[in-house]
Amino acid sequence: MTRHHPDSLSLMEYSAGNLSEPHALCIKLHLDKCSHCRSRVDTLDSLGAVMMEQQPKVTVSESMFDSILSRIDSEPAGEPVTPTIPRVSALQKLLGEDLNSLPWKRQLGDVSVLDITDRFPGQKEQVVLQKLAAGGKAPAHTHRGEETTIVLQGAFADQKGVFNQWDFVVLTDEDEHKPVAVGCEDCITLSVLSAPVKLTGTFTRMLNPFIR
Amino acid sequence: MTTLDQKPASSEGRKDPWSQMLQKVGKNQDREAYHALFEHFGPQIKYYAMANGLASHAEELVQEVFVSIWRRSCLYDWRKAAASTWIFTIARNQRIDMLRKMQRTSAEMPVETEDLWQIPGENENEPVTSLHRLMSERRIRESLSHLPEEQITVIAKVYMENKSHQMVADELDIPLGTVKSRVRLALNKLKVILQDQNV
Repeated sequence: MTRHHPDSLSLMEYSAGNLSEPHALCIKLHLDKCSHCRSRVDTLDSLGAVMMEQQPKVTVSESMFDSILSRIDSEPAGEPVTPTIPRVSALQKLLGEDLNSLPWKRQLGDVSVLDITDRFPGQKEQVVLQKLAAGGKAPAHTHRGEETTIVLQGAFADQKGVFNQWDFVVLTDEDEHKPVAVGCEDCITLSVLSAPVKLTGTFTRMLNPFIR
Repeated sequence: MTTLDQKPASSEGRKDPWSQMLQKVGKNQDREAYHALFEHFGPQIKYYAMANGLASHAEELVQEVFVSIWRRSCLYDWRKAAASTWIFTIARNQRIDMLRKMQRTSAEMPVETEDLWQIPGENENEPVTSLHRLMSERRIRESLSHLPEEQITVIAKVYMENKSHQMVADELDIPLGTVKSRVRLALNKLKVILQDQNV
């Protein structure tokens, strides 16, 4: 179980570039708001650099450098990349400006869901948004497989603590909880469900972290 | 002038020749410095591509990375990342990007690679540079030399062969828990985990 911040092993898999896109998105959304974890990733990126430098030497041809030069010469000059201009965040690209106005599907009581797996073509995991109405409660439940969740809006609480916006949580089948949305906003989370479970048409999987 | 103006971080950062050269490329489009970077990092990136299954695209990856280095060098800030760290993340991102493009069309990719994997020191509003960042590569290099081979092997498979912890466990025929504990032990010595506890 990981609560509030990703663990070092996940950050290492992120730094190495080995995570699936939905998992990387969860980590990136957290990193954008957490300088502590950013600094951990900086160190891990440096580990990557040192690993790269310590590998066996291979040769590259000098002619390759010439073709690189001819490529940079053929590109229009005076157009340096400027990623510092306000960029549309990954979340906005995926979901637009207003999370509350998405086509939510009311599932049970205070819980609504939206499956966004199709925004990640070729990925194996199921990706879902969940919304717990302000002040609302989800029934007690456990988790199947491993579920990575990041809070996008509002906050929820369970017996182990309060999870605020941009907090990161990983829950497994050992974690049973009964979350409640706290604060005056609906609590919206993004969850990535590892897919060891075979889904069939007749098997409807209820969703976490709020319900299953 | 007070001693605070002396910026201990700067002397540390400037000692790294690759960061100096990258800075010259960014500021003056210095082709000599660019060539020196190519000679040093080109072979590393080629090996990286070969190790992680992109052998038939190894030279293509080196080219993509260097074109990207040229175009982005104006954004490089030596106070925020050592050149080798910055270049590693560009190589990582170009590899991910290449794989994504092989697997699907651009219409299927609403989110760009860089939206998910950030290059250090870019697109951040962090004015403060910690000495730790600049020191970390040297410290990691030193710490790595004291790690047992079995821990280095696991880390190398994760970073160079891009295997998940589960894949490393399968390949070495050891339990996943053993892989994770080796990684944790290594990260502990590299102070990545210790940092977790300090904050």
